[in-house]
Amino acid sequence: MTETAIEAAGLGMRFGRRGKPALDGCAFRIPAGGVCAVVGPNGAGKSTLLSLAAGLTRPTAGALTVLGRSPAEVRARVGYVAQDKPLYPQLTVAETLRWGRELNPGRWDDKVAERTVAEGDLDPEGKIRTLSGGQRTRVALALALGKRPELLLLDEPMADLDPLARHQLTGTLMADAAEHGTTVVMSSHVVAELEGSCDHLLLLGAGRVRLAGPLDDLLAAHRLVTGRADASLDPHTVVEARTTGRGLTALIRPEGPRDPAWQETVPTLEELVLAHLRAPQAPVLRLDDVQEAAV
Amino acid sequence: MTAVTLETTAAADRRRGPRGLLWATLRVHRSALWFWVMLMAVGAGVLLWAYGPGADAAWAEYRSRGCLDGRPSLGCDMGGPAAERYQSATALAGGLIGLVPFLAAAWAGAALVGRELESGTARLAWTQSVSPARWLAAKLAVPAALLVAGMAVLTLLHRLVWTSDSSLRTTIGAADWHQSPAYEANGTLATAYALLGLAVGALAGLLARRALPALGTAVLALGALMIVVGDLRPHLWPVRTLTGDEYPEWTGMVVDDGALTSTGARVSDPICVDDARCLAEHDIVGYYRDFHPASHFWPLQLVETGIVLALAALAVLVSFRLLNRRTARAV
Repeated sequence: MTETAIEAAGLGMRFGRRGKPALDGCAFRIPAGGVCAVVGPNGAGKSTLLSLAAGLTRPTAGALTVLGRSPAEVRARVGYVAQDKPLYPQLTVAETLRWGRELNPGRWDDKVAERTVAEGDLDPEGKIRTLSGGQRTRVALALALGKRPELLLLDEPMADLDPLARHQLTGTLMADAAEHGTTVVMSSHVVAELEGSCDHLLLLGAGRVRLAGPLDDLLAAHRLVTGRADASLDPHTVVEARTTGRGLTALIRPEGPRDPAWQETVPTLEELVLAHLRAPQAPVLRLDDVQEAAV
Repeated sequence: MTAVTLETTAAADRRRGPRGLLWATLRVHRSALWFWVMLMAVGAGVLLWAYGPGADAAWAEYRSRGCLDGRPSLGCDMGGPAAERYQSATALAGGLIGLVPFLAAAWAGAALVGRELESGTARLAWTQSVSPARWLAAKLAVPAALLVAGMAVLTLLHRLVWTSDSSLRTTIGAADWHQSPAYEANGTLATAYALLGLAVGALAGLLARRALPALGTAVLALGALMIVVGDLRPHLWPVRTLTGDEYPEWTGMVVDDGALTSTGARVSDPICVDDARCLAEHDIVGYYRDFHPASHFWPLQLVETGIVLALAALAVLVSFRLLNRRTARAV
């Protein structure tokens, strides 16, 4: 078993007494040393999960360990970029980086932070309040990367970027993560931007884990099949089935041999996620080898 | 390449000036720091002017009217323009000192804590290598140190002016020792209330989590606390009592007065004035007055300071508990 970046057992988070829980009985394990995508519709609990992992809030139920410790003990080793990229508007870019250096003594890497900023063609003396959304994202990312985190938590990092900036920043991020062996856990509802860059998937829906595991294993456990509308899908687990005229398209989890008359393909990440989002009642599938008793 | 990097890192470490959280706190709140320095400069400048040229001019004016030569004229009862300027200056400085706790509360609620929680920059700080508790400690300690330093200077200058010109003050009929804002500005209370403002502001910021509501809450809460403690003020030290056939002289900080019966019981004055039958009917034989003489300044001042600092400490304690309950804590 590889090392663990984040492990949760019975994790629950409820805001206020009567509110619906943002997270409810979540159990999962995210291995260290890869890129994990946390996906789900709006309000699924992605941001809540990341801010719990960053030690910003306290769970109301269950437990969460980050890099094998409590989130508060590993603050120095974890980087976090919030969805709205908060920065001090009155500071310049250079001062923002100095702020990061002062608050991360012994860890800060000026070169990494400055390179991240320089790649975006930012004026170091420009005030944060004059920057565009994409430029702010770059500075926020520079602050997180300059800390040299072992685990980087990114909440919708690319949401406010144009496609070019998105591509550039994803490149910066993935190159840095690969170079330093950083574990990246990023949430997103734009599934397309994760294709090809993530190797672990955590799909949340309504505060619960829907799918969890290595991406390849999850994809391999599903088949996108097309057949005649009257074909029986038994005994396979059907995630989603749609009939169009006389044809039937379904995403299934095969349980045994399939009808050779069907056309079948391994789904793409997007097809897998969209089918699960469209079918909230689909059964949970977890391939992340959690030992419930061990946690 | 490596050597160069090492050298620059070493050079960076040798840089002078504040570091770490201290630098971060000072830089993020730089405009507030400048405002505080400016306020100090204005307050100190006004007080020094009153101490030197202001007082001299008032005396010169008084002397030129012949009021010191034992030839009192009507003009000696009213201050001239120089005396008025002097009085305005001391009133301005006193008002400024009295305003500081409210400024501290408003700023601490809105800018120091509330805005950071509202905009998410607090969370940004907590995801550096800084725990929320250390973040709050720096947020409180740095402004507290600056407040204490600044208020110490203003208080000392205010006392200097106050003690050097008591005869001038009597002449032009300025405030008594127990009247606000001179009472607070002459002792430890001005500083204590400024610290209470900071603590209450920070707590309001943590509770409201937004700048504007925190500002309002902080100022109102501080005002309410000041009224409550202010009401207690005369009762914080045993009073002295004067009695007599007539009302004793009005002196110092008067706490209570009224009439005395033949048994020595204190009753409210039936206002008989000289009506003997009325006096006999109510069995009034004398009058009393409870008061604090000027010598009670320090005991009163120090007991109230203790109460105010205890309230500030309580607000700080609640703030830390609140923050710890909300955020993940190392176990």
